[in-house]
Amino acid sequence: MRAEGPIPVSLFFTCLADAFSPGVCSATVEVLERFGATVNVPLSQTCCGQPAFNSGNRKEARAMARKFLLSFPDDGYIVTPSGSCATMVKHGYPALFRDEPRTLARARAVGERIHELSGFLVDVLGVTDPKSDFSGKVTYHDSCHLRRGLGVAEQPRKLLRAIPGVEFVEMEESDRCCGFGGVFSIKYPQISCRMTERKVERILATGASYVTAGDLGCLLNIGGLMSRIGYPVKTIHLAEILAGKTAATSVAG
Amino acid sequence: MELTANAFGRNARKALLDKTLQEALGRTTGRFLAHRDAAAAAFPEFEATRERASRIKRDVLDHLDTYLARFIEEAEKRGTIVHVARDAGQAREIAARIARDEGVTLAVKSKSMAAEEVSLNEALEGAGVTVVESDLGEFIIQLAGEAPSHIIAPAVHKTREQVSRLFERHLGEPRTDSIPELVGMARRHLRAKFLSAGMGVSGGNFLVADTGSVVLVTNEGNGRMGTALPRVHLAVVGIEKVIPRMADLPTFLRLLPRSASGQTISSYVSIVTGTRRAGDPEGPERMHILLLDCGRSAILEGKYREILKCIRCAACLNTCPVYQSVGGHAYGWVYSGPIGAVLTPLLVGLPEAAALPDASTLCGACADVCPVKIPLPDFLLELRSDARDQGLKTPGEIAAMKGYAGVMKRAGLLEAIERIGGVLGQFFTKGKGIGGLPYPFSGWTERRDFPAPAAQPFRKLWKIRRGVTR
Ligand code: SF4
Repeated sequence: MRAEGPIPVSLFFTCLADAFSPGVCSATVEVLERFGATVNVPLSQTCCGQPAFNSGNRKEARAMARKFLLSFPDDGYIVTPSGSCATMVKHGYPALFRDEPRTLARARAVGERIHELSGFLVDVLGVTDPKSDFSGKVTYHDSCHLRRGLGVAEQPRKLLRAIPGVEFVEMEESDRCCGFGGVFSIKYPQISCRMTERKVERILATGASYVTAGDLGCLLNIGGLMSRIGYPVKTIHLAEILAGKTAATSVAG
Repeated sequence: MELTANAFGRNARKALLDKTLQEALGRTTGRFLAHRDAAAAAFPEFEATRERASRIKRDVLDHLDTYLARFIEEAEKRGTIVHVARDAGQAREIAARIARDEGVTLAVKSKSMAAEEVSLNEALEGAGVTVVESDLGEFIIQLAGEAPSHIIAPAVHKTREQVSRLFERHLGEPRTDSIPELVGMARRHLRAKFLSAGMGVSGGNFLVADTGSVVLVTNEGNGRMGTALPRVHLAVVGIEKVIPRMADLPTFLRLLPRSASGQTISSYVSIVTGTRRAGDPEGPERMHILLLDCGRSAILEGKYREILKCIRCAACLNTCPVYQSVGGHAYGWVYSGPIGAVLTPLLVGLPEAAALPDASTLCGACADVCPVKIPLPDFLLELRSDARDQGLKTPGEIAAMKGYAGVMKRAGLLEAIERIGGVLGQFFTKGKGIGGLPYPFSGWTERRDFPAPAAQPFRKLWKIRRGVTR
């Protein structure tokens, strides 16, 4: 556990959650405050630039990244309910600014301070009991960037297992990509859907009522397919489970 | 081999509808991957070996000239004739000349991606040589008139029934659904060829600089027979396959079979060092090595040089969810999966294969398994960026990106758009998902719903909260 006193956290709420699932952002704030953080929400932030970066449009990505770097204060933690957006800042920015030493230094410093929510709770705050009253049978999807980009895999599982009302079940191939991949799902929707179908099969096989993850993109993708087919499994962001939301309706599905 | 990399989307759609292929992919890639993971877990030094292999390969790339010169010198010392081809055309010329000079009419060939890369079979056939593929998988697809679809399991897309039908038609064998019987038929047929062929053509997994040896790693005896029985041996190998010392070989022999199929060691490792010496019971009388540059020197000079560390184990294919969904033919050239998505554009030119770097979700599974630690996802991203720089993006995409960046540079503008989106979204969808979006998102919503924008974005909610609590 860290020292007593308020923990300064700036929330990076992500453009996707802002527009489609504001409940995820509110839940993140709630959880952070529960464990002693003073949450500051820089309102000039928009998008980290990941869609532009991942589609090879680096000029645009750089413009967005610059704006991002200016939007956050010079110190304190930055926490986000998204593994892929955190990965973008941590690993994408250094690639974007490799030829601009000053911005690179700033990017590296910000990258040091950025954390995904579950990793932050467990690794930085030492949380062992999330104090959530969520109840239900839950399975967890490892989003690629959270697991491989940030190495966060055990933390969300620890938190889920510590919630008394949660019956946690592992799905097979939990770390296999759900087929979203941002621009990939637009460029190659058929392949993307095939991958999502396989993911959904694995989810259904667990008999869980909820599937959760640390990335909204995956959940929108998985939920979008399940909602079309009319499957009974609900998608819910990890932040909402941790906050103890029982009505899981903020994400598609 | 014909290049259809830019038709990846079309090729992939076809593959998704091919039921036999889908079953084969599920079966094979899954099995290879499970075995690979088990083998890596059971080998405590896997990480350390991987690190060492990566270091050796990096050193090779840093001094490729020196190591190649040494290799050529040592090979020639042992009676091997070494040729270097700048490009595919030159490689074909050299191969045809060798065949003519050696008076060869029948050649047995063991699987070689490098040979496939330069369409070697065509060249040899043009020189009057009948080429028989001797690797079981290659033999099958040669009969079928197709190209391989997997680095280590070229006929992964064929069922035993299809194979039996091919053997019935081409070899006059009776129909059977017993795999051992099918293997027996191929073996009988091929044995005769090995004994009568004038030349054995092979690839090469490694070139050892300090001994001038070519190392072949195979699971069938064909590599050994093709290099030992015929009078002439021709090995076609990319220049990047050189390793400094014989002492480095075990490092790679530990990694290659484990990464490929989960075997601790492959069934056959042939180390061919020069021609038959006086008193040797077997071995070729003449040995030629055709070293392929074919774009590799250019890659070596640039930011993608580490792709030349690849040892062609196919672990990245087996673990790639895109490859698992569409198989190798969709990639439209010799190399498929993540390695193909990077290597093909580098070898044939990005404009000819710009579709491939986009054929990935960037999930990173390939980098996790690559035994020589090639940063495949980073390279895919880099190639996408090159595509933009080279003017290979559609005007639509560029306009969309500019518009998107324009909005994202101003939080106020974004909020205004979110507000309008929220109102429209709620009005048209009543809070439910959106079932149909216009192009280019129409593919997305064909089988998936898209969420409706929230009535009030978080930014607004936060402002309200702050206003209230203040
Ligand atoms: S890129 Fe790596 S994993 Fe893929 S074939 Fe080459 S060595 Fe194997």
